[in-house]
Amino acid sequence: MSERRPYVRRQSRLWWASRTYRGYTLRELSGVGVAVYGAVLLAGLDSVRRGPDAYAAFVGWLSTPVAIVLHLVLLAAMLLHGLTWFQTLPKTMPRLIVGGQAVPQKTITNAAIGLAMLCSLALVIGALS
Amino acid sequence: MADRDRLTIELWILRYRPAQDEEPHFVSYTVTYTEEMSVLEALQSIKDEQDGSLSFRWSCRMAICGSCGMMIDGTPKLACSTFLRDLAPGPVKIAPLENFPIERDLVVTVADFVKKIESIYPFIMPKETKPVEAGEYLQTPAQMAAYEPFSDCINCMLCYAACPQFGANPDFIGPGAMALLQRYNGDSRDAGSRERLDLIHGEDGVWSCTAVGLCSEACPKLVDPANAVNQNKTNSAFDFFLRGLRKENHS
Ligand code: SF4
Ligand code: FES
Repeated sequence: MSERRPYVRRQSRLWWASRTYRGYTLRELSGVGVAVYGAVLLAGLDSVRRGPDAYAAFVGWLSTPVAIVLHLVLLAAMLLHGLTWFQTLPKTMPRLIVGGQAVPQKTITNAAIGLAMLCSLALVIGALS
Repeated sequence: MADRDRLTIELWILRYRPAQDEEPHFVSYTVTYTEEMSVLEALQSIKDEQDGSLSFRWSCRMAICGSCGMMIDGTPKLACSTFLRDLAPGPVKIAPLENFPIERDLVVTVADFVKKIESIYPFIMPKETKPVEAGEYLQTPAQMAAYEPFSDCINCMLCYAACPQFGANPDFIGPGAMALLQRYNGDSRDAGSRERLDLIHGEDGVWSCTAVGLCSEACPKLVDPANAVNQNKTNSAFDFFLRGLRKENHS
């Protein structure tokens, strides 16, 4: 005699906090860092609109310890998000076939990271000159 | 056999017998093993020598039939291609595949998964069928490379056990079925993309996926199901926006 009584295990509400999904959760959280940095940039832009005094205050705030620590944290989030974003990139594209062979996903990721670094470099050089 | 070749390891196996157990619980077994012994062989030795009521699925014992998937120390793996020497000193926790209902011991319910792979038209639908005399449907190596890894899927469901979004929404079509879908949609001889695309819109289609990506890491056949799911988000989105145009074309 066999009896069927399938047992359903409940998924933990905290699945995202488990070690297995840590990488994923950090990637998603780093997105919040990117959004916060966007807000900082917008605040700077808004200070320009409000006039020289507001702009000076914003620049002054940038050199406070709080702002520096915040920027270091945001930079780390930005780097993590950029890296993981480019690692996800080849997953979102059709398989790229060149000369009858699939281009390795690593190559796509590295090319995209290289391009992003070139753009960043050009921006920095542009800003400094 | 020299003594050093006869090692022992403790296995904690999640057991559930629907007729007598209220819920699953771990039971400890100790097995003697050799260098080349797989987890599947350990389970077989337990069934032979310690407890004949232990239930688990297997067939090929060479990583090709996809029957022996289970959680081994928390990771979805094929029991036949996971070796005790890599798990030593133990104890090793063995449980049925995550995110699936347990039928009995290490055996899970596969009915929903089978329905999903049946639903995506898992066969080539040529634009025009031609008589056998007209010859084969030809394909270049490059055209084959476009879909080839997706055809390596062995339906082991490890990717589903790795997917937290499938855990949250059992109706999500999931990585394995999407790999099979892409195997046909990416085939130059097939013209069924339209029909298949209609099946994957919405939350139960590709949009439950948040690109966690662990499905591809779990896959024993390097199928990369995450790629199949995520490239079809683009296709699904395009289809959503271009739907109006398409209807005009058809009328
Ligand atoms: S895609 Fe890989 S992990 Fe998923 S069912 Fe197929 S072979 Fe198994
Ligand atoms: S027994 Fe066939 S895949 Fe393991």
